[in-house]
Amino acid sequence: MSGTKTFLLELHCEEIPARFLKPLSEEFRAAFSIWAKAQGLANAGLETFYSPRKLAWRGSALPVSQPDQTEIQVGPPQRMCLDADGKPTIQGLKFAEKWGVEVSAVRFEQPAGKKEPCAVVTVTRKGRPTIELLAEALPGLIAGLHVPKAMRWGSSEFEFVRPIRNLLCLFGEEVVPITVDGVTATHTTWGHRLYHRNHPEPVTIASPEAYEAALEAAGVVVSVEARRARMAAQLEALAAEAGGRVVADTELLDTLAEIVEFPKVVRGDFPADFLRLPKEVLVTSLREHQKSFCIEKPDGTDLLPCFLTAANRTDDPAGFVKAGNEWVLKARLYDARFFFAEDRKHPLSERLEKLKALTFQRELGSYHEKTGRVVALTKMLATRLSKDDAHIERALEAARMAKCDLRTLMVGEFPELQGVMGGEYLRHERAHEEVWKAVKEHYRPVGADDAIPSTPMGCLLSLCDKLDTVVGCFAVGLIPSGSKDPLALRRAGQGIVRILWEQAEFAFTPSFLMDTALKVVGPKATKPEAETREALLAFFRDRVGYQLEWVGYAGSVRRSASAAGWEDLSDLKARCEALSAFAEDPRFASLAQSAKRIGNILKDESPAEAFDEAVLSDATEKTLAERLKALEATCEHAHLLAALADLAVPLEAFFNAVMVKCDDPGLRAARLSLLHRLRQAFLRVADFSLWQ
Amino acid sequence: MHIQELILRLQRFWADRGCLIGQPYDLEKGAGTMNPLTFFGALGAKPWNVAYVEPSRRPADGRYGENPFRVYKHLQFQVILKPSPAKVQDLYIESLEALGIDLSKHDLRFEEDNWESPSLGAWGVGWQVVLDGMEISQFTYFQQVGGLDCRPVSAELTYGIERICMFLGGYDNIFDLIHGNVTTDDGVFPVTYGQMRQREEFELSAYSFEHANLDLHRQLFDAYEAEGWHLVNDLGHFLSAYEQALKMSHTFNVLDARGAVSTTERPGIIKRVRDLACACARAYLAHAEGAAVPADAAGKGGAQ
Repeated sequence: MSGTKTFLLELHCEEIPARFLKPLSEEFRAAFSIWAKAQGLANAGLETFYSPRKLAWRGSALPVSQPDQTEIQVGPPQRMCLDADGKPTIQGLKFAEKWGVEVSAVRFEQPAGKKEPCAVVTVTRKGRPTIELLAEALPGLIAGLHVPKAMRWGSSEFEFVRPIRNLLCLFGEEVVPITVDGVTATHTTWGHRLYHRNHPEPVTIASPEAYEAALEAAGVVVSVEARRARMAAQLEALAAEAGGRVVADTELLDTLAEIVEFPKVVRGDFPADFLRLPKEVLVTSLREHQKSFCIEKPDGTDLLPCFLTAANRTDDPAGFVKAGNEWVLKARLYDARFFFAEDRKHPLSERLEKLKALTFQRELGSYHEKTGRVVALTKMLATRLSKDDAHIERALEAARMAKCDLRTLMVGEFPELQGVMGGEYLRHERAHEEVWKAVKEHYRPVGADDAIPSTPMGCLLSLCDKLDTVVGCFAVGLIPSGSKDPLALRRAGQGIVRILWEQAEFAFTPSFLMDTALKVVGPKATKPEAETREALLAFFRDRVGYQLEWVGYAGSVRRSASAAGWEDLSDLKARCEALSAFAEDPRFASLAQSAKRIGNILKDESPAEAFDEAVLSDATEKTLAERLKALEATCEHAHLLAALADLAVPLEAFFNAVMVKCDDPGLRAARLSLLHRLRQAFLRVADFSLWQ
Repeated sequence: MHIQELILRLQRFWADRGCLIGQPYDLEKGAGTMNPLTFFGALGAKPWNVAYVEPSRRPADGRYGENPFRVYKHLQFQVILKPSPAKVQDLYIESLEALGIDLSKHDLRFEEDNWESPSLGAWGVGWQVVLDGMEISQFTYFQQVGGLDCRPVSAELTYGIERICMFLGGYDNIFDLIHGNVTTDDGVFPVTYGQMRQREEFELSAYSFEHANLDLHRQLFDAYEAEGWHLVNDLGHFLSAYEQALKMSHTFNVLDARGAVSTTERPGIIKRVRDLACACARAYLAHAEGAAVPADAAGKGGAQ
C-alpha cells in the first residue's frame, strides 16, 4: 500500500464552554503530532476547527500505511549453528524459526563488536495500515485530553468537557472504526439546530475535504477565524450605518466568535436617557451582561444609544432577536441606574467606616487600615512636592476617599469599575476636580498598555497606594517568586516605576520611597527590616530594568547605564537617551575595550585624586590630561558622550605608547591617577566596561 | 401567556415525559434545588424524575416592589432527570416549544454557567440558556450534592417563570404580568402579579433591609444549627435536620441583605450550613439507600 489520504476527526458535543475550545483543540493537535511521529507517519500537522458544539481536526497527506521497516537480527556464532559438515544444528534451525525465515535465509557475517562470524538474518517488519493504527490510538488520545473542569453525565464514568453526542471520523472516504463512551464513529454529523428543524437527517460528510462546505450548507461555519472575520466586518458596517464607530474590544470579539456557530451581528437600540450614566458604566454593563459592543460618536467622545451583539443564526426574520436583546439590555441598564441612584443617596465618605469590615490582607488588616497608611504616605510625599496647604489637603482628601467605592453597589456588581465609580460619585458631589480625577484614575496604570493617571495628584495617589501594597506585602513576607505573584505585586511595582519615570517632578528614589513606606507599615511588619529592604531593593532594580527594556533601549545601553546608578530615574532616563544616540557609534566599541583595560589596571590600586601634570612625559598622556579637564567641566550628558567618543582614539594611542605601571614611582602614580579620574568621568554616564 | 398557564403547560409537558409532579416545599429557600425532592432525589442510584414549582426568596434582590425587573421572591420551575437522558437538550427545547416559543424565529444559545451552592455542598456544570439575549433557564449536570458524588448524574433544568412570561408577552414591568383570570357570575377579572404580590414585595424588602431584628436572627441561626445537629447526630433524622439547615440558610440571607455579615465571616457561616446539609446527605444514604425516594418495593413510598 502506498499513497496518502486525509484524516478528519470531529467530536460533536453539547455546548463546550468557549474558554476551553482553543486549548483542547491545540492540545489534541500536539498529542496527535507526537503520536504520528512515533508511528513513523510523516505528516504536515493538523488543521483545527471549532465551534460551540464541535472540536475537529483535519490532517492532509497522511500515508495510508506505515513504511515497512527492515531490521538485522544477530544470532549465535557460526560454529554453534553449523555442524562439521556445514549442516544446520538444532540451534541454527531454532534461530531461523524464531525470526520466521527459511534456514537458507540465514547468512553468516562478523558483525561489529563480535569476535567471530555469527548467524544473521534481515527481517522485514511490515508497516501496518494507518486506519488500523488510528482506530487503536484515537480513543486513548481523546480520553487523554486534559479537561480543567471535567464532568460526568448519565450513568457513565467517562469524563469530558461536555457530553459527546456524535463522532465523525474519516480516513479518506472510509470511516475509522472507533467508539468513545458508547458513541461509534460514522461519516455523518449534525449541523445547526435550526437547520435540522427542517432536515431531520444528519449531514453526510463524503470526504474530509468536503467538511467545511457541507457544514456551512447546514448552518455552521466551523472555522473560528472565518467567524471572527465575518463578524468584524459586520460590526464595522453596522456601526457606520448608525453614524458612529465600534468601541473596540478584541477580547469581546474573540468571545463572540467562539459562542456562535454562525456569525451574525444584530444592532439594537436603548432609550437615550440611559446615556446620562457614566460612559464606563454603560460600556462595562453592555460587555459583562450582554456581550455587546457600544457605539461611540466618530470623535470618540460620547456613546450613541445603540449596541451591537451576536446572534447564533443567519437572520432575524421576525425581529425577535433585536427586540429580545433590547428588552434585556433595558432591564440591565435599569439596574445600573438603580445602583447609581442608590449609591448617591449617601455621600461616598460614609463608606469609610464600612471599610473596616473589608479585609485588604490578613496581616495588613482592613481597607480602612490601608486607607490610613495611604493617607500618611500621601502626607509625607505631598509636603515634599508642594508648599500649598490647600493643595496638600486635597491630596489627603483623595487618599481618604480612594477605597470607599469598594462598598458601593455598583462596584459590588462590576468590580472592574473600582476607582472609576469613586471618582464619578465624588464628581457628582461636586468635589474638587483634582480630587475626583485622582480617585478615578488611581488604579492606573492597570497594565503595560495603560496610561498613568492624567494628573499629578492622581499619580501621587496611585504611587502611594501601590507603594503601600508592595512594601506592606514584602514586610509580611509575601514576596513574588518565579511564576507566583498572586497579589500582582510586580504589576504594582511596575506602576510605581512607570509613574516615577514619566512624572519627572517626582524626584523620589526607590530607596527613599521604600524607607518612607516601611515607617508607615511600622508594627504590621512581621519580617526583619533589613531582610525586607534587601528584597525590596532587588525587586525595584528588576522593575527598573524591565522599564528600560519596555521603553526599548538596547542591551548595551541598559546594562552600562544602570551599572552607573539606577535609583535616580530621571538621571537614568537622560543617560539612556544620550547613550542611545551613540549606540551605533563604532568608537564606543574601542572605548569599551579601553574601559575594561582601565578597570583591570586599577584593580587593587588606590590612586590619589590629584596628580602632577608636569610629571607626564608622553604626548599621548598629555593629550588625555588636557581632555580630562574638559570632560570634568562638561555637565550635559550628550556633550559628555561626544567628548568620550572623541577620547576613543587618544586612549588607544595612549595604551599603545605607554606602559602605565612603569618603574618611575612618580610617573606611575600620576598615570594611575589620570586613569582613575578618567574612569570617574565615564561613570557619570555609564559603565563602559559593560558595553558590547 | 398567563403565569398559571405557563406553569400548567410545563407540568403537563414534563408529566407526559415521565416526571412526577412535585409540590413546593413549605419553608423559605433561595432556590428550587433546596427542595428535598432535589437535594435527596439527586443522591443515590435509583432513577428519579420530578418537576415542581418553587417560590424562591433572595432577600438581597428585594426592591420594595419598585423595580420592574427584580424581586425578593420569584417562581422557579424545576425539573430533575436522573440519570440525565442522552437527548436532554432536545427535551428541553421541546418544552420551550410547548410554551409556544417558535424557535425558528429566535436565537437560542447555551452559554457556560457552572452552578455551585456552597451552603449545600453541591456543584455542577452546565449552561445558562439564553433566548434572544435573555437568560431564561439554568441547565446543570449535578456532579456533587451534599458533598457526595452523584452517581448517576442528574440533569437539573430551572426555568425562571416570571422572566419567561415577561419576555413572551413583551412586558416591561413584572407587576403587570397577568397571573390568571378570575371568572365570577359578574364577569371575568384578570388578576395581575402586582395585585397578588406587590405589597408583599414592599413589606418583605422593608423587613429584610430595615426591620429584621439582627440579634434575633443571629440567635436563630445558632439555635437552628444546634437543633439540626441534635436531630441528625442523636436521632439519625435527616429530613427534620435538613429543615434546620434550610432555616439557617434563609436566616443567613436575611443577615447578609442587611450587610451584617463581613467578608471574612462569610465563608465560615456558609460552612456551618454546609456541614449540616452534608451530614444530612450522608445520613440519608446510610439510611438504606432509596428508602425515602421514590416508592420502594413494599409500596410505602413517599418521603417518610
